[in-house]
Amino acid sequence: MHKDWRCDLHFVRTVFRQRRFWYWGAWALLALTWIAGIVLLALSGWFITATALAGAGVLATLDLYVPSGGIRTAAISRTLARYSERVVSHEAVLRSLADLRSRTFAGLAARPAHWIRTYRSGDLQTRLTGDIDTLDAMPLRVVGPIVAAVLSLLITLTLALWLAPWPAAALLVAAGGLTLLVSLLLAWLGQRHSRELVQARANERIALSDYIGGLAELIAFQRAAETEQALRARHADHARRLTRQESVGALADPVVQAAVAVSSLLMLLLALHWYMQGLISGPVAVLLPLMTLGLGEVLGSLPGAWWRTGESLEAAQRVRHIVEASPDRQGKAGYPAPDGSPRLSTQGLVIGFESHRPLSAPLDLALEPGMPLVVTAPSGRGKSTLLDTLAGEQPTLAGSVLLDATAIERIDPDQRYARISYLPQSVHLPDARIRDILAPERGSHPDEALWDALHRVDLASRVASSSEGLDTRIGEGGRRLSGGQRQRLALAALTLQDRPIVLLDEPFSGLDLSTQRRVLESLQPWLEQRQCVLVTHAPEMLPVHWQRRSLPRAGTDSRSAAKGGESP
Amino acid sequence: MKPTAREWLRQRAHPHRHWLWLSAAGSLIAAGATIGVAGIIALAVHRALFEPDRLDWTAVLLGGLGLIGLRYAAQALRDLAGQRLAHDVKGRLRRELLRRARETGPARLATQATTGEWIERFQARGEDLTGYYARYLPAMQAVILIPLAILITVFWLDWLAGLLLLFAAPLIPAFMAIVGMGAEQIHRQQQEEEDRLAGHFLDRIRALDWLRRARVLDATEAEVVERSHQQRRLTMRTLRVAFLSSAVMEFFSAVAIGMVAIYVGFALFGALDYGPAVDLTLFTGLFVLLLAPEYFLPLREFAQSYHDRAGALAAAEALAPLAEPVSTAAPDDARPQAAPSEDLLVLEEVSVHYPGQTEPALARTTLAIQPGESIAITGPSGAGKSTLLALCAGFLVPDGGRVHRHADAQHFVWIGQDAHLFHGTLRENLQLARGDTIPDAEMANALGQAGLPLQAAELPDGLDTAIGEQRRGLSGGQAQRVAIARGLLSAHRLWLLDEPTSALDHETEHALLDTLFELAHRHRLTLVVASHEAAVRRRCQRILALGDARDA
Repeated sequence: MHKDWRCDLHFVRTVFRQRRFWYWGAWALLALTWIAGIVLLALSGWFITATALAGAGVLATLDLYVPSGGIRTAAISRTLARYSERVVSHEAVLRSLADLRSRTFAGLAARPAHWIRTYRSGDLQTRLTGDIDTLDAMPLRVVGPIVAAVLSLLITLTLALWLAPWPAAALLVAAGGLTLLVSLLLAWLGQRHSRELVQARANERIALSDYIGGLAELIAFQRAAETEQALRARHADHARRLTRQESVGALADPVVQAAVAVSSLLMLLLALHWYMQGLISGPVAVLLPLMTLGLGEVLGSLPGAWWRTGESLEAAQRVRHIVEASPDRQGKAGYPAPDGSPRLSTQGLVIGFESHRPLSAPLDLALEPGMPLVVTAPSGRGKSTLLDTLAGEQPTLAGSVLLDATAIERIDPDQRYARISYLPQSVHLPDARIRDILAPERGSHPDEALWDALHRVDLASRVASSSEGLDTRIGEGGRRLSGGQRQRLALAALTLQDRPIVLLDEPFSGLDLSTQRRVLESLQPWLEQRQCVLVTHAPEMLPVHWQRRSLPRAGTDSRSAAKGGESP
Repeated sequence: MKPTAREWLRQRAHPHRHWLWLSAAGSLIAAGATIGVAGIIALAVHRALFEPDRLDWTAVLLGGLGLIGLRYAAQALRDLAGQRLAHDVKGRLRRELLRRARETGPARLATQATTGEWIERFQARGEDLTGYYARYLPAMQAVILIPLAILITVFWLDWLAGLLLLFAAPLIPAFMAIVGMGAEQIHRQQQEEEDRLAGHFLDRIRALDWLRRARVLDATEAEVVERSHQQRRLTMRTLRVAFLSSAVMEFFSAVAIGMVAIYVGFALFGALDYGPAVDLTLFTGLFVLLLAPEYFLPLREFAQSYHDRAGALAAAEALAPLAEPVSTAAPDDARPQAAPSEDLLVLEEVSVHYPGQTEPALARTTLAIQPGESIAITGPSGAGKSTLLALCAGFLVPDGGRVHRHADAQHFVWIGQDAHLFHGTLRENLQLARGDTIPDAEMANALGQAGLPLQAAELPDGLDTAIGEQRRGLSGGQAQRVAIARGLLSAHRLWLLDEPTSALDHETEHALLDTLFELAHRHRLTLVVASHEAAVRRRCQRILALGDARDA
């Protein structure tokens, strides 16, 4: 647990170090803002006391213009420093955001595909972007105030030591220390239950989705009112604890400010005492408490800083777990793919997710160009899992998938896809132009080749009819296209990839019969030049000379199916 | 007329306004104590410098401590009152949301928001209201009360210094408008830019599989970075201007404090011989100087809380429609009445009109359901199949026409397109069907009849198999079978099924329908199935075609 926390901190450091000059600039400007504020207040107090004494004839001479110039300078530099601080800090954060996005993307991309699939639920992905945003708080709202507070405190300490006897400085140190202690205590009090609160919120979410999603069932079984009551009680409890936590946070500010005000009062009495003893001058006696009062703004930011530490570290932990790919996997998958057009085959392959529940009996396949293999099975028997496994995206339960003689999971993923084109049943296309979907590498294919590919899948007229042609954007997840159009666009992209092995999962399921026939007819020669596996529950559409094979059922009848299955 | 988002937010606070009074009182007490502390300090300095004999150390110490304590206690009171206000408003709102959801019923609810959206609004958007009630409203009181109290005091002490403060904040409302426009602009623009960027990033993550297979991961990563930097340049261009508005406020307050100090200094020095400057003492001068920063402090806090308001307004727009009372003003004759004849359920000339839609969802439709029959409700999408079924269930009250309901039709089984499986074990899901504890054997029997025997590989832990939200381990067809078993256990005879097979492939659909109609025959169930599948039509005894009925 403790070590984890150190790793998170280290992760945050390495991320933000990239922009450290920007952050130091922002922190220095923040300190300058605060110091200018303190100087403004302290110098004003010194100035009017000095003028009062001079006016009363106690002080012999007084240069009015230097201190009043100082006051004006402090006033203006405070404004300028504040403005620059905001600009610089936002610049820094936005740069870090770009760094973080790049790291996160690279980290996710380095993960095995099946790992990401467990991460597919929208909730988690949304949380990831939220976490990345929460991380910015670390340099700006946690480290920044602490660094700037220390700087401001050091300067006031120097001033105090220079102008007055040591107890003045001691009082300032005590005020700073007390604030630190109080804010740490409050942060601890408030955050004590934060993990439980996060968990309670997640549970509430589940209960709510049962209530809203299952409302029809609940009403039908006369359970709706009862469930509403339970939810209401659960929420009231959760809200009460949340409000208690927030109230502790809200209390931090008055407590710190009161501590600062009391310090100022004590400083005032001390300074007046020293003045009467003749140790310091009257104007300095006023300057000291006002300087202490000016620290209120500085120290007041500390509770918030501690408060956010926990939150940010938790976000850092979640992002880190995604970004830092496990090293053993990277080491394993380093082989290059065999050259040319390697043969895909399986030996005793058993597919599935859990070893006690295999989806198929052992399966031997050997693919050959010119003889596409059609795999059929009733739904739920793992047709899609078979293709995932053949593509090396899903680990085997037993047996192996070979590319020539190399086990597929040992090949570097990018190398693997240099040989294998895989189109699963539902595909999430990026929101990009049709041109980019067909040929993601800019300039790799001339426009005529793209139009040819669109013709092959009977999509050319549809694209040509839109005013932007190949530059039309397909929208998020391709939602400006129908399901069938998306599938055909992906098929067209596959033909342009031109790889020796092609795996297709129900490629024609969303198309009406005549379109299916047309697309199949124009793709048939292309498919027959390749090693192709096609899974479908409607094999009657496909050319009769293509090889057919049904997925052997796991369990008791598996042995006979494996033996009886025609050998390829 | 519907209230605007701002009015809605105010109205929600109305029942809990005692907290607002408390926070206003806190602000006022804090202002008084602040003025008191400044007075004590100024007086102590004045006496120490000019009348050392009259300086009472204990009085200063105790008075100062007491007033400081009072000030921050009052401020804490204000903050806590704000928190409580937010707590109460959110609590009442969420209780209402839960009740409204039930009263609205699944049919109308589905037209308002998806389950995910509803939860998002309940949890996150609800939380967005906190800042408005806990910070913005108290800060708004403070920004009026505290500067006013200080201004009165300063005018009473020295009207010239008072004028300086007054002019420094050239009418606080004008200030507020500047701040407001700036903050709102920043908030909205930045939010939009961020949303767009986050959207792009999320899109690329979702498309990761495709990108990996297309071998363009590196190029996409570069694209993500380039997009981020492009957005950064755009955002900074707006921010640099937007920050100016708060810089202007900062500038005015800093310069005003400086001006007050210089004015007081010159007056004390005797360099000014005009108006109150002549009589100014160190006491009044210091007093005024100490109050000057306090005068501007609430303004800064108000500016900081302004983005809370922007967030709350957006949340209010999402929440208001969900919290609206359900119209119960259905015509009297539309109330369910006991069926006069042997019919189980009679819909007579019923019409349904969803708010905000010009076409009725269902127009003058009549349907009489006899016990034991099976009826298919067909028609193109949008013809009102689901609406009719919701009327049968009582989820909707018709806007016109009558519903006659036999006592046996009060209770029914509902199976939708994706049967909802509740988070928990299989046993808990089945237990939902009845109030009394259902024996395991009976559950196993029902599951077997529904075609999902306990020995199935998908149920490794039998009745204790965990199923839930994501329907873990069960396919769509199997989830529907669990729902059928649940229906059997409830012993209700009227079954309403809304597109029960539309999420299934043909093979599974046929198998499921075979089971369902076989059970209906054996248990003499009444089936009303809304579906456009031919497989359903073929098996039903009677068909109500909705699109045609309207044309006729």
